[in-house]
Amino acid sequence: MQDLKLLHEAVLTGDAKSAKAITEKALAEGVEPLKLVQDYMMPAMSEVGRRFECNEYFVPELLLAARAMKGALELIRPLLTASGAKPTARVALGTVKGDLHDIGKNLVAAMLEGGGYEVIDLGVNVTPEQFVAAVKEKGANIVAMSALLTTTMPAMKTTMEALQSAGVRHQVKVLIGGAPITQKYADDIGADGFSESAAGAVAIAKKVMA
Amino acid sequence: MSMFDTKGHPVTQDGRKPNTLKKLARLNTALRHQEPDRVPISDFFWGGFTKRWQQELGLPADANPYYYYDLDWIVTVPNMDPWIRPFETLKETPEEVVVKTGFGSIMHKHFEFPMPEMRAWETDSFEKLEGSRFDDPADPRRFFAGGDNQIAGVGDGFQRDTPPWIETVKSLRPDFPVYGSIIEVSECLTRLIGQQNAMLWMGEEPERMGAVINRIGEFYFQLARAEMAAGKGLLDGFVIWGDVAYKKCTFMSPKYWRTYFKPWVAKIADHAHANGLPVIYHGCGNVKAIFQDYVDMKIDAYNPLEVKAGMDVLELRRQYGHAIGFCGNSDIQVWETGDHEAIRHEVLRKLNAAKGGGYIFQSDHSVSSGVSGRTYDYIVKLVRDFGHYPIELGDFEERL
Repeated sequence: MQDLKLLHEAVLTGDAKSAKAITEKALAEGVEPLKLVQDYMMPAMSEVGRRFECNEYFVPELLLAARAMKGALELIRPLLTASGAKPTARVALGTVKGDLHDIGKNLVAAMLEGGGYEVIDLGVNVTPEQFVAAVKEKGANIVAMSALLTTTMPAMKTTMEALQSAGVRHQVKVLIGGAPITQKYADDIGADGFSESAAGAVAIAKKVMA
Repeated sequence: MSMFDTKGHPVTQDGRKPNTLKKLARLNTALRHQEPDRVPISDFFWGGFTKRWQQELGLPADANPYYYYDLDWIVTVPNMDPWIRPFETLKETPEEVVVKTGFGSIMHKHFEFPMPEMRAWETDSFEKLEGSRFDDPADPRRFFAGGDNQIAGVGDGFQRDTPPWIETVKSLRPDFPVYGSIIEVSECLTRLIGQQNAMLWMGEEPERMGAVINRIGEFYFQLARAEMAAGKGLLDGFVIWGDVAYKKCTFMSPKYWRTYFKPWVAKIADHAHANGLPVIYHGCGNVKAIFQDYVDMKIDAYNPLEVKAGMDVLELRRQYGHAIGFCGNSDIQVWETGDHEAIRHEVLRKLNAAKGGGYIFQSDHSVSSGVSGRTYDYIVKLVRDFGHYPIELGDFEERL
């Protein structure tokens, strides 16, 4: 049996090749898929988030770790689905209508996946109707919206109104983020949570789902 | 209509108007950290703002904020595309257009949306990036010929067949202090391979990527040299465009930035200074971790100092004194509220930074379509009313 701490290390250092190889071997040796995720990969991504918050890690290191996590998760996810294991929550994530920026959204997706969340990435320029559809048709528990521009922020409020009008607002928690977004704006539009950074998004998601 | 779309009026006289020379003296005095007659003011305007401003103020379709407000400086952009070639149109409808540019990026521009989307990149592998060879940085077409180029053409607006840079410079010179400009490596990488690939490859292969950065750094240094030579005697200063930070910190570690990015900024700044041109560096985001480096490079002024990234010009003045000038930092989100009381507070507070010179009043990035024409009108009036030296700000005085 190999040392599974190496999986933690591989994700933490963004070594995608090793993360995948260790996961493959561990699964072949009969290690529980959920154990790999919960005991090694998620703690590794949590540490990545901590280092990012402390400016010990920067965007390149975060992206590498996320890629390593994703590669290993691709091997594990079918097994988890087959076993009936549920994700922590299902997040419908997108950059709001009129805004075509995606790197911030992609970083949030990576961190949420690393935190055990299933992410439905709706992409950029996502209309309020698309967010509503993700809740109704795909069972999203969280709607997460990103905006980079001050001129596209109002689309977050429009989406909140669309969720309300569609009668699904009570079914979901709404998180928002992006360069111009503040806690005050989140409060003003009635969002459930706001995060300053990609790493902080996981903690906020956990808090609102508690 | 886009941010770099301002062309000068037809040149009817030789030389520069006395008012232009006065504006140049105002700008240069401020950049020398001395007090001119009043605080210089200018900005970068979204095409969407200009249209709104024209409509709200009942101005003709060719009205331009630079001329209307007699603003104190303007920036021009030559063709900085790695490969000089026309856009290749991949899709075009009345609502949107998709083109491949001289950076090899596939750009989607929806005319209703303020900013374009980069969908894909011709240079889509590390090997292709390492193997890429750009056109001559000193190719005269960059400065003396019209044509498509991504920086001028695909942004807040969409414009084909940009006029020759040198003609734009000459046409603006009678009325404005005119700056040339160059992008630095970070801005090139975003367009050439996408920001995510750039970051990923820096993390994956830091030294190999460093070699690429150095090669591209040399390319843009040579392009800057050629631009300064092409505009010899016509330019009043030089802007370096380079975004290396986001809301929280630099994208890459300060150590990596210092190793590979900073030396090229320093070389361009040194060359500009050797040619008698002051340098304004434009970099978004929170750059506090590397701000001292810009002081060390003798950058004359830092722009835009985004409030949403935690930058505050008064805090910076307290920390750095007059070791560097500042350009910007007036909170666009306050401007967008249209609330005159809040705007007055914002504008007058920031004017404290102009005491002793060393400050050019601008927004903390650019004037968006979220700002009303009346609001901008009010802001210019405030700066003109309260920006006279000696500056007296009454209730808004702050000790620095």
